[in-house]
Amino acid sequence: MTFNSLQFLVFFMVITLWFFRLKDQKGRIWLLLLGSCYFYMSFIPEYILILGGSIITDYVAGLLIEKNEGRARKAWLVVSLIANIGVLAVFKYYNFFVDNIHAGSLFFGKSLTLPMLKIALPIGLSFHTFQAMSYTIEVYRKNQKAEKNFATYALYVMFYPQLVAGPIERPQNVLPQLKEFRPYKWDNIKEGIARMLWGFFKKVVIADRLAMVVDRTFSHSHDSSSIALFAGILFYYFQIYCDFSGYSDIALGAAKVMNIRLMENFNQPFFSKNMGDFWRRWHISLYSWFYDYVFNPLITSLRNLGQAAIVLSLLITFFLSGFWHGAAWQHIVYGLIHGVALIYEYFTRKQRKKLFARMPKAVGNVIGVSVTFLFVVFTRIFFRAENMRAAMDYFKGIFSFSRGSNYIGMNRLEVCLSVFLVGLMLYRERTLPGYFIRSDKRFYFYTIAMVVICYYLGVFAENQFIYFQF
Amino acid sequence: MYILKKICVYLVALLGIVVLWASTSRQAMQFLSEHRDNDMWWGAHQLDHGDLSSISHLDYLNKFHESLKTEVRHTSYTGPKNTVLFLHGDSYTWKLRDTMFDGICDYKFIGWSNPCKYHLDSTKRNVLVIEVTERLLRNYYGNTQIIDQLTDTGIKKKALSEYHVTDPPHTRYSSLLPTIDINLFFNKYINQNLEYNLFNYKFIMPVFGCKAAINCYLFNRASGDAVISEDKQFLFFKETLDPTGPGSSLSPVSDDEVARLVDNFNTIYDYYKASGFREIYLSIIPNTVTIVRPEGYNNLIPRIQNDKRLKMKVIDIYTVCKTTSELLFMRGDTHWNKKGKQKWVDMVNEVLRHPRN
Repeated sequence: MTFNSLQFLVFFMVITLWFFRLKDQKGRIWLLLLGSCYFYMSFIPEYILILGGSIITDYVAGLLIEKNEGRARKAWLVVSLIANIGVLAVFKYYNFFVDNIHAGSLFFGKSLTLPMLKIALPIGLSFHTFQAMSYTIEVYRKNQKAEKNFATYALYVMFYPQLVAGPIERPQNVLPQLKEFRPYKWDNIKEGIARMLWGFFKKVVIADRLAMVVDRTFSHSHDSSSIALFAGILFYYFQIYCDFSGYSDIALGAAKVMNIRLMENFNQPFFSKNMGDFWRRWHISLYSWFYDYVFNPLITSLRNLGQAAIVLSLLITFFLSGFWHGAAWQHIVYGLIHGVALIYEYFTRKQRKKLFARMPKAVGNVIGVSVTFLFVVFTRIFFRAENMRAAMDYFKGIFSFSRGSNYIGMNRLEVCLSVFLVGLMLYRERTLPGYFIRSDKRFYFYTIAMVVICYYLGVFAENQFIYFQF
Repeated sequence: MYILKKICVYLVALLGIVVLWASTSRQAMQFLSEHRDNDMWWGAHQLDHGDLSSISHLDYLNKFHESLKTEVRHTSYTGPKNTVLFLHGDSYTWKLRDTMFDGICDYKFIGWSNPCKYHLDSTKRNVLVIEVTERLLRNYYGNTQIIDQLTDTGIKKKALSEYHVTDPPHTRYSSLLPTIDINLFFNKYINQNLEYNLFNYKFIMPVFGCKAAINCYLFNRASGDAVISEDKQFLFFKETLDPTGPGSSLSPVSDDEVARLVDNFNTIYDYYKASGFREIYLSIIPNTVTIVRPEGYNNLIPRIQNDKRLKMKVIDIYTVCKTTSELLFMRGDTHWNKKGKQKWVDMVNEVLRHPRN
C-alpha cells in the first residue's frame, strides 16, 4: 500500500476516524498496531513474520539489557545487533556477497558459485531495522527505559506512517507520545492534512512528472545528447527530493493528524553551502543515526590517531551509508565520494574561510550553494544508475558533448511546466516553511485546490516511492 | 447537531471498512460488476470504442474512436469437410466461428490460459493452430510451465491433483478451527477495484475526460496504460514500448532466449505430433508498434519464424502486415481491425485448403 494509492486514502480515513472514536490509549495502540500490520502486509503478507521476529527479539533484548549490568548487558546488545544486522545481511546483502565471491574466484582462476536467494527484499527493511537498533542502543546507553508493554514497543517499530521509509525515529521521541492519550485537536488535523496534501503534490505532480524525463534519459543514455543527459540528472535530483520529502511530508502529516510529532527529514537541501551543510539537511534521520551510532563511537575509539581518526571515521561512515542504500558497488562509490568530499572540506576549511572572507557574503553563498548543488547532481548518477558501467556510460555521455537526441520524454510545454513547478516548490518551502492554516475557510480552499491540482496535473503511473527499495 | 455529526463519522468509518472489504473480496467484486446496470447513469464506463481509447478516457473526446465490429465473412467453400480445427488462441481470435473456415467439420477454440484438452478422431484430418500475440509470447512460451500446461505432463499432473489427492487426516481440535487463507484479506488489484467502486460511474466521466484532454492536447500524452504515437495517429499499449519488459517490441532479446522459445515450441510440436495431429501451425500476431513504428524493433518474430530448428509451420501474418499498404490494426485498441482479422482467417483457410508438409 503506497501513500499515493486509493487504498491508502481509504485506509487512512478509516484508521483516523476510529482512532478518535476510541477513548482510551490502550485501544488506540491496538488499533494502530492492527492497522500497521494490515498496511505492511498489503505489500507481501509473509514478510510480517520477519518483522515480527525482529520485534520480539529486540523487545526481549531491551528488557534483558535493562535488567543486567556489565558483560551480560553488553552481550544482550550484541545479540540484538546481530539479529538485526543478520536479517539485513540475509535479505539485502547475501546475493551481493555471493556475486562478488563468484567474481573474485574467477579473478583467481577458479569458479566458486554459491546458491543465490530468489526472494524479494522486504519493503522498508533497512528503515525499521535501524529504528529497532536505535531502541536497544539507547536502552544500553541508559538514555531510554526498556518498554514493558509489548504492544507499545511493537507500535514504535511498526507505526504505519514511518514504517517503510522513515523517518528513522528515536525511542525518546516516539515512545512517550505513543503512551500518552493525545486529545482530538482540529488545528493538528488541519496542519496534518495540509502537509499530507503538500506531500502528495510533490510526489504525484512533480516527482512522477520528472520521472518521465529521468527514466527516458537513463534508458537512452547511448543515443541522447549531452544536454538531454544533463537535464536528466538535474531533474533526477529534484525528482528524488520531491519523491522522498513528499513521502516524509505525508508521513509527518498523517502522524500529526493523530497528534504525534515525528522528526523532520529534510531542511531545504538545495540551499546547502557545503557538503557538511548538505548532510545536515538531507535525510536528517538517517544521517543523525549514523552520526550518533557510527561516526561518534568511531571517532572516540580512534582519537589517538589524530586527524587520521577523522579521515577513517568519515570514510567508514559514508561507506556504510552508501551500502545502506543498496547492495551494489555504485551505491558504495556514491557514499565514498561524499565521504571524500567531506574530508576535503575538513582539511581546507581554513583556506576556504579566508577565500570567502575576501568576497561579499552573497557572492560567497552563491558560489558555495552552486558548487555543492552541482557536486550532488553529478554524484547522483551513481545513485540512479543500475550498475557501475551504466553510471560511467552516463558520465561519458554528458562529457563527450555528443549530438544525440535532445528529446527527454516530454514536450516543451511540459518541460516549462516542470521547471515552473520545481521553482514553485522551492519558493514555497523557502518562504513558507510551516503548514498550519489558521482560517478554516482558507484551509478548505487550500484542500480543494490541492486535490484538484493533484488530480489534474498528477501523473498517476503507479510509481512506487524510490526509497521503498531500501 | 453533535449527535448527527457523531452518527455521520461512524457511518463514514463503517462505509470505509465496507469499501475496503468489497474491493478486496473477489466474490464481492464479481457480484458488483455483474449487478451494475451499465446502461444507467450510474453504470460503469465501457470499453466500447477501443480498449486503449477507453482506459485512457480519450473516448470521451472522440479521439481514436473506432468501430470494434470485426466480424469476418463466412466461407463460401463448398468442397468436402473432413478437417477438425483446434485453435489455441487469445482475444485476437476468440470470437471466430466454424462457419468462417474452409472445409472443417468441427472447430474447437481453446483459450490460452486453459490446458489443451482434446479427443482426436483419427479418421479426420486434425489441425492445430497455436496463435499467440507478440506481447505475451515471451511470458507464456519462455518458461517451462507452458510445456506442462500444453502437453501431457501437465494434464496428467492436473488430473492427479484434482481427483486422487486425499485430504490429510484432521485432529479433533484442528478440525474445529476455521481454515484462514491470509490472501483473503489482500488483493493485488485492490486499487483498480477501489477505482471501479468509487469512481467508475458514467456521471463522473466528464472529470476523467477533462484530465484526458489536458494530457492529450497540452502534453501529447494519454493517461493510464496508453501511449500516443509521435504522429498522433495511434494509441500504443505502454507495455509494448517499455524498453525493459518482456511484452515490449523494443526490449532486447538474447539469442539464448530465442533458442529457448524455439525449443519450447519444438517440445510442444513433438508432443502434439505424437498425439495424432497431422499439422501443427504457429502464428505470432505482431504488436501494433512493431508494424507502425518499427524503429528499434527487437525482431523477435522474424528471429523465431526464421529459425531453422523450428519444427512448426508458420502462418506468417507478420510479413503480411509489413508488406501490405493497408492498415490492419485499430488506432485506439490493442487488437487488429476487421481487415487484419480477415487476412489472418484467409491465411488459415489457405493452409486448410492446401496443407503444407
